[in-house]
Amino acid sequence: MNDDLPLRRKMWGNAEIASCREVGRALQAYLDGHTDPATTSRIARHLERCRRCGMEADAYTAIKRALGSRDTGADATAVARLRAFGRRLADEPPPTATQA
Amino acid sequence: MECRPTRRGFQEVAEAVSEHGERARTLCYQQRVLPEIEVLLRVASSLTGQPADAEDLVQDTLLRAWRSFDTFDGEHPRAWLLTILRNAHINGHRRQRPGLLHDPDLSSRVNSEDRPDEAASAEDAALRDSFDEAITAALAKLPEQFRHVVLLIDVDDLSYAETASLLGIPEGTVMSRLHRARKRIRLDLAAAGLAPRRRI
Repeated sequence: MNDDLPLRRKMWGNAEIASCREVGRALQAYLDGHTDPATTSRIARHLERCRRCGMEADAYTAIKRALGSRDTGADATAVARLRAFGRRLADEPPPTATQA
Repeated sequence: MECRPTRRGFQEVAEAVSEHGERARTLCYQQRVLPEIEVLLRVASSLTGQPADAEDLVQDTLLRAWRSFDTFDGEHPRAWLLTILRNAHINGHRRQRPGLLHDPDLSSRVNSEDRPDEAASAEDAALRDSFDEAITAALAKLPEQFRHVVLLIDVDDLSYAETASLLGIPEGTVMSRLHRARKRIRLDLAAAGLAPRRRI
């Protein structure tokens, strides 16, 4: 079954499938896993059929994936140094000050 | 001795074992705080943009956490530590770094590890590099408040709630900034021919 819509045609929503407008509003929350199950399923059905929104979703997914694979800035040597610092702190007598 | 959160927190544990209270405090700190160091360092890197500043900030956070450990309620150590880190950052570190808008060090956080997929062609690798470079450039162009949110959530993997608590802003603002930031990145990538445009 070829349900792909032409790029210029907007899809109207119903109980089973989200509209393009709804997807536009909720796409990023959907990709972050922050939509409720019913919305998730309606958006997923939409993305299977709507080429334009599918491309949008692909773009955001690629961006999220690229960002997620970046260097986190927590190099192992620095982590080890900080762990050693924390252990030394915890071995000292309890402080009297309680200012955070 | 096991370190468990209680309704009154670790203070209760320490009091209950007064003979060994000091030891209990040490163990609880080691078990609840030290495992969060890597996350703290990632977050500090996102906030400061400089590895040395990030390490200083985490060290300051660990010290503050140890000094105020009796106020820890025994639950959600990450949220508690992120709040301390935020205060430490506001008090001591932000003024040392007035702006990161065109931070040359941002590129140092690009995924620089050389781990090409053996099956990938040189063309694929070049495309991936262009994509990563374009993402780095797009990130550098973002206003700081947008960039922080993207780095904390998409790179450091914090939740919306943790990010909101860390930055002292409502969760709705986090979502709004995140979505707008990603949209800007997508538009930059599209302008560079690296992502589909929405309206063709």
